Amino acid sequence: MQCKYCGTQITKKDTRCPQCGRAIVRPEKNIRPIAIAGVVIAFVGSAFPMIMNSNADLKFQPAFGFMNYESPWMWYSFLLLCVLSVVLCAVKLEKFSIAPTAILGVLCGITYNNVCLRHGAPGMVMGLAPILIYAGCAIGVIGVFLDVLKFKKKEISTDYRYTGHKTVWQRIYIYRWFYLMFLPVLVFVIIFNYLPMTGLRYAFMDFKSGSEPSYVGIKHFVDMFGLSEISKLSSKQFMRAFGNTLTLSVIKLAMNTFAAVLISLLLHEMKNIYFKKSVQTIIYLPHFMSWVVVASIFKMALSANDSGLVNSLLMSLGVIDKRIDFLTSNNLWRGVYYVVNLWKDTGWGTILFLATLSGISPELYEAADIDGANRFNKMRYITMPALANTIITVFILNLAKVMNLFESVFVMYNPSVYDTSDVIQTYIYRQSFASSGTPNYGYTTAVGLFKSLIGCILVLICNKASKKVRGRGIV
Amino acid sequence: MAQTTAVYVKKKRKLKPFDIVNAIIFIAISIVILLPIWKVLVDSFDATSGYGLSFLPRKFTAEAYRMAISRADLYRPFLISILVTATGTFVGLMLSTLGAYVLIQWEMPGRNFLSYVLLFTMLFSGGMIPTYIVMMNLHLTNTLWSVILPMGINVYNLVLMRNFFEGIPASLDEAAKIDGCTPMGIFFKVVLPLSKAALAAIGLMFAVSYWNDYTNFKIYITNNSLFNFQMKLRSMVMDSDLPMDDGSLSPNTLQNAAIIIAMIPFMIIYPFCQDYFVQGVNVGAVKE
Repeated sequence: MQCKYCGTQITKKDTRCPQCGRAIVRPEKNIRPIAIAGVVIAFVGSAFPMIMNSNADLKFQPAFGFMNYESPWMWYSFLLLCVLSVVLCAVKLEKFSIAPTAILGVLCGITYNNVCLRHGAPGMVMGLAPILIYAGCAIGVIGVFLDVLKFKKKEISTDYRYTGHKTVWQRIYIYRWFYLMFLPVLVFVIIFNYLPMTGLRYAFMDFKSGSEPSYVGIKHFVDMFGLSEISKLSSKQFMRAFGNTLTLSVIKLAMNTFAAVLISLLLHEMKNIYFKKSVQTIIYLPHFMSWVVVASIFKMALSANDSGLVNSLLMSLGVIDKRIDFLTSNNLWRGVYYVVNLWKDTGWGTILFLATLSGISPELYEAADIDGANRFNKMRYITMPALANTIITVFILNLAKVMNLFESVFVMYNPSVYDTSDVIQTYIYRQSFASSGTPNYGYTTAVGLFKSLIGCILVLICNKASKKVRGRGIV
Repeated sequence: MAQTTAVYVKKKRKLKPFDIVNAIIFIAISIVILLPIWKVLVDSFDATSGYGLSFLPRKFTAEAYRMAISRADLYRPFLISILVTATGTFVGLMLSTLGAYVLIQWEMPGRNFLSYVLLFTMLFSGGMIPTYIVMMNLHLTNTLWSVILPMGINVYNLVLMRNFFEGIPASLDEAAKIDGCTPMGIFFKVVLPLSKAALAAIGLMFAVSYWNDYTNFKIYITNNSLFNFQMKLRSMVMDSDLPMDDGSLSPNTLQNAAIIIAMIPFMIIYPFCQDYFVQGVNVGAVKE
């Protein structure tokens, strides 16, 4: 940070500029997110049971919350108030969002009281819902107050750069056709992105095809993490899938990035432009094949029959004396998976690095030549620092997608290697579409919700990191 | 001075050992990438069931390809792939350009809100099963709409398109406005003709993802007659679900031919459009 008046560098702790002695005005931090976070906590809380059976072995079966409360209007108005609060905060009218947030608490209290009167029995304990909702309401109201206090101090300035002197309504009238143009996009987003989000309520329900969904509270999450005796088995599969997802995608990411950097460094040294162009064309090629095609090619190449390319090659070189079935061996599957990923995506990954490398000024290299630097020195002191930022960017961009691993595994795995290859998405797929019994969409939705949440946290962390490293976020 | 220039030129012409090693490395990499593909191509023309180390067909036959053209259960998935790719690319381009054009209207009230609505979907999603249930309730499963429509809205491509559009000078927009052009008119007569490169780059990205789509088909479509070529290829290679009428052709030949057919359209198009693809990647990550 620099002083506004004299431009000297100042540290975080200084209150006055050491050079000119003026007081330092720091930009106010935005605390509206606190209010929104409070409402979101309350919203999440409303999905949990208000009271439930304390006996874990009954899988928390008798559980009562907003969702199976006799009059659904309570829950609907609760959700409506949540949305209202968030929207009020978002359009900078956070002062007024205190009212809906407070009413949230009141609604929760009324419902809790009624639920206790009707279903309260010995052995029932309070669930997570009241705690989360009250905490959320408190955080929301406090957040608004912090914001209002700040608001009083802030001087009001309007940015006339874009708005001109027209009122909002006049501008809306001017842009009326643009809203119409945006309508198709909005309809698509709402149907295919937001409507499924409302389906996340099934994570708290038992939902088998052919029967009505029934509310079971946090039973599925208890099952996932093996908190009750009965659920140890299904939890083991879930945990295995979770572990595999992290291992496979993180190692794949590290290997692909490393290989891409190495290849782009070597490719950048290539002097002959035609040779370089043709190499680029060849190494980008596999990126355009679908995973099905890639898996098929490698099934042919790795096959243990006479026609298998790799086995025949290894046999004739004398490396092995018996044909290996690569894709059905738990020890080898991961290695094959990483190699196939390298084969498909390393070339494509070099594009960004090559763009950065071609942006380095050749004068730097010439200056280094005059100073007597050798190839290694030039790489160490010119190329690597220039490339570091891009490497971190690529790493961050891909780290956000760690949980999305699906198709590449799905087309390459088979029942004999589930131990090392099953990832969360394939686990969800198998449980819902390929299981022998009636699939419980509730359970798979719960697993999906967990995956989405982890993915969301990862994106937010990467976004923060990206802002730190290169000054702009990834979303 | 003259001497240094001479030295520089001489230095450039000299082929160092490093350059030779470098060239050898890249020839090796190219061979590693091309060899499996070449092997598949060779085996698709080989009537014998294929030997691991034969890099030219032993007994040449094009029977597999003739079969693919003449048999309905083989060319129908191919036609469905083309249909889905064409429709999907059109839908995707339409939505991306419309959305991107609205998002560059800086003075429009609610522009920020609308872009947050879009960006939030990159942050959080309902996931596989809730989406499936929505599709089921809309009665879209087992129709081709279920694979065309969800992929039509791609927020990443939309943002990419917005980045392209921001490069169009605002003065053109204003000039058209002063001449009495409607927003739709500006969109079709000014913005779209100026962004042909962007349309090509993003259109190709859409086309590749539709052609290569397997996941959506696997989840939403259970009707055999609506499978695209990726699904057909999968069942041919993994489940050996092959159309066999006489013994003239080994299953291996047919499987290899199916792989080649599945990848051939983009293998032909791609070398001519390489620059558009590369441009798309670079605009997405480097520039703002």
